[in-house]
Amino acid sequence: MRGERLERIVVAGGGITAWCAAAALKRHAPSLDVTILACTPSPDALADRIACTLPSLLGFQEDLGIGVADGIVRTGSGYRLGTLFVGWAAGLPDYVHAYGRYGTSFGPAAFYLHWVRSAQDGTAAPFDSHSPAAALARAGRFVPPTATSPFADYECGLTLDLPRHAAMLRAFALHVGIREIVGEIAGVTLDGDTAIAAIRLVDGSAQSADLFIDATGPEARLRGSIDAVRDDWSAWLPCDRVLLAEPDAEPAVLTTVTAHQAGWHWSSGGQAGFAYAANAISDSKAARVLRNASGATPGEPIRIRSGTRPQPWLGNCLAIGDAATQIEPLEWCNLHLALSAIDRLITMLPGRIATPVEVAEFNRQTRAEAERVRDFLAMHYRTAQRDNPLWRTLAATAPPASLAHTLVQFAERGRLPFHEEETFARDSWAAVLIGQGFLPRRVDPLVSTIPAASVRTAMARQTAAITAALPHVPTHAAYRAAQTRHLTR
Amino acid sequence: MPLTAGGDVRVVVVGGGTAGWMTAAALVRLLPGHASVHLVESKTIGVVGVGEATLPHMRAFNERLGIDEADFMARTRATFKLGIEFRDWGRIGDSYIHPFGTFGRGTGTVDFHHYWTRLLREGKALPALDSLSYAGALARGGKFDHPATGGTLAGTYGYAYQFDALLFAPYLRQIAQESGARRTEGTVVSVDRDGESGDIKAIDLDSGERIEGDLFVDCSGFRSLLLGSALEEPFADWSHWLPTDRAVAMPCRTRTAVTPYTSAIAMPSGWRWRIPLQHRTGNGYVYASAFVSDDDARRALGTAVEGEALAAPRVLRFKAGRRRRSWVGNCVAIGLASGFLEPLESTSIYLVQQAITALIELFPERRISATDRDEFNRVIDLEYDRIRDFLILHYHATTRSDSPFWDYVRTMPIPDTLSEKLDLWRTRARIVKYREGVFLDPSWVAVYLGQGIVPEGWDPRVDTVATVALLDSVEALRAEIAGDVACRPDHRSFIERYCAMPQAA
Repeated sequence: MRGERLERIVVAGGGITAWCAAAALKRHAPSLDVTILACTPSPDALADRIACTLPSLLGFQEDLGIGVADGIVRTGSGYRLGTLFVGWAAGLPDYVHAYGRYGTSFGPAAFYLHWVRSAQDGTAAPFDSHSPAAALARAGRFVPPTATSPFADYECGLTLDLPRHAAMLRAFALHVGIREIVGEIAGVTLDGDTAIAAIRLVDGSAQSADLFIDATGPEARLRGSIDAVRDDWSAWLPCDRVLLAEPDAEPAVLTTVTAHQAGWHWSSGGQAGFAYAANAISDSKAARVLRNASGATPGEPIRIRSGTRPQPWLGNCLAIGDAATQIEPLEWCNLHLALSAIDRLITMLPGRIATPVEVAEFNRQTRAEAERVRDFLAMHYRTAQRDNPLWRTLAATAPPASLAHTLVQFAERGRLPFHEEETFARDSWAAVLIGQGFLPRRVDPLVSTIPAASVRTAMARQTAAITAALPHVPTHAAYRAAQTRHLTR
Repeated sequence: MPLTAGGDVRVVVVGGGTAGWMTAAALVRLLPGHASVHLVESKTIGVVGVGEATLPHMRAFNERLGIDEADFMARTRATFKLGIEFRDWGRIGDSYIHPFGTFGRGTGTVDFHHYWTRLLREGKALPALDSLSYAGALARGGKFDHPATGGTLAGTYGYAYQFDALLFAPYLRQIAQESGARRTEGTVVSVDRDGESGDIKAIDLDSGERIEGDLFVDCSGFRSLLLGSALEEPFADWSHWLPTDRAVAMPCRTRTAVTPYTSAIAMPSGWRWRIPLQHRTGNGYVYASAFVSDDDARRALGTAVEGEALAAPRVLRFKAGRRRRSWVGNCVAIGLASGFLEPLESTSIYLVQQAITALIELFPERRISATDRDEFNRVIDLEYDRIRDFLILHYHATTRSDSPFWDYVRTMPIPDTLSEKLDLWRTRARIVKYREGVFLDPSWVAVYLGQGIVPEGWDPRVDTVATVALLDSVEALRAEIAGDVACRPDHRSFIERYCAMPQAA
């Protein structure tokens, strides 16, 4: 049985997530017969609908062999260096969470720990002024990381033009040999309790496979037919609605996320949105908030049930994207979690029948990763400082144990304990915690083995180097225009 | 704002062995102005001198302390160590190396061992797995060179040391004292504890001297004077999984090559170590007293050693396991005082080093916070538990049935955490993934394959390559490694040039 090879995979779903899964499986294991059942995309699938991505998409595309020209420029994507958080901590300035290092350390302790001492001495410049990527983002400028300049050691995400990106991925998938079937799912025929025998289509045909990938969005048309067991995260993540609008604007290198009494709204250029708690604001009022903020008319509200399936993979069916985990788009993790699950499946490809130990290990890693993303998002609410009922309740809610551990350690001495399957780097945690004014009680002894005065000088030198180099970097718009010109020449 | 509330933390270290002086040296060197260190050691109590063989992590420790490698090696009569040779473990007659490096090139999307597994399952004749690891080939060839940089095969490994632990403590003592550590000679006769908190206030010495402190580090070895005796922290006994409880040790003159690796040779009721140093070879038989008498063990060791004995055999007693918590109140135990895992994978000094690193990362104020303490215990427990599983694997993965001891360990129940790892390996050659912990993928692969557990499945992506092409690339890799290794210096001559011990010694 173990000797029998995995041969046929059917991916169900019509959005980016499904195309990414199909393309990656075929690309990395060319002997597989991969079919995509391209049904109508679910309107509630955030992984397919949020334009902002984390840097992981670029690595994912690169692994497929999709380069800058096809994967970024021709699809009209913009680069993203980070997120600007406005109004999350009353009385404190806005702050940038950029995808890269903050400062260069002196000695064995991390830079942010040195910054904490300067803050206690009252001599610190804003934490994000030490991040080259944050400085670029605030200035609306962009250059890919360059090792020999101050603008090194960061990554960038993208702001997608979703229809164009989906079309590119589809073309790529077909090019590498994916079979596409267009049709709608009528139902699923089970084989026993935990296996799918076939997907029945509306046209009366059926699709069978060794392994089914469910990328149908929160409805989980395949995986949901086996069971509906899920962990609920709504106590920590308040937003259960998202409105999206499409203003006519260029993609922004820095995505602005503004806290609101009922949630938060954002603008990334071509996409604006409002994530909110339905019990804190009505849908119509929410639509007005977003229209006022973006100047564009929102579509229908998307519903989110925050939580995850503890077993995204069961039997011969594996859920990815919103079919596995639903989470508000704060910090843009929806597509990221889907891509990570696809990568994990590829490195853990089973035989024709996956054994329980393999499935359990996949689920263990996937769940750990999702819960740590949940922790990172919940941390934003837990440490925010806003005086509205919704926010006060959130700040008072006991966090999940793994987040509590991180917060206790950070509050004491700035320690950020290592977690397996962590999505966000320590500097990301530090950027948000410090940005929201959640500072350690003590300065770590390793910091104070280096004299404060020399650290101050070195920190000032680092920020001066960033500031001096900034004007020589093109604006994001100029950089994109040059790339496009280069391609069309 | 003051650096620490109320100035220096007064650290009292009890015990002057390897653990004690490593701790003292690290604290005074790395936390100047935060820790004042006072070490108490007794001349009348011997030093176990644990861990003559080490893991590559030790280099980072030495570097952090500013220790010059060649000087350190000369003074501790050290040799290089590229891995551990296991003989007679899976079956009598087997020999494999657990190298401190990767198998294959260490690049590529699918790990080397998946291709290897497939070839094994297809019944192909293959060279020794050691010859496909650069470190393994270097070790088998009796060669040594520092790892290359720049992503070549000659850079796919690390190395550690084999040294005289009895010379290491004085070496560190000099460093510690030069950097301001105080040393008092004496024996602890009583421990004075606060009636309310239970914290240790002071220790009293046989001289009548009383030493007060804020933080007490118990490096007293198996006696566990503070954590075990005074604070009575319970011991989690793991001897049902790791039944060896004694060792008889005896150094001898080196007759054969000074190998750049340690050997662990399975014996009827345990195993025997062979650790070649510059001036002698360390030997010892680690055994389970339930299965062999001290006399028989001593005789077995005497017969097995290669050269003339340089000292009378010495018996050590121990029990596998750890204190439930390593840090209780204001007392941290480091080294044998906190727990014991047999030296099969040379983890003793590593565990000391990890405890010191964690203590420095979580160094407390004079008033100790539970936050620091709990985190320290979490980190240390994880280290112990993961090493434990790896050690148990060596005993469990065997077909030996030639003695009651091997019958017991072969059939004993194993921890669930290890069963899961084994299942995943057997099914599809997967290693349970974690980044934190000492033994990473190649180590598990070395022991699994070295002890004959060949997975039933492998990564399906391997199937896209034809068998002939795979065999060709294995042969090409073997030849490339062998060719490169042949140009490297002999271990002995490298040492003579680089770090020979002083002639007078």
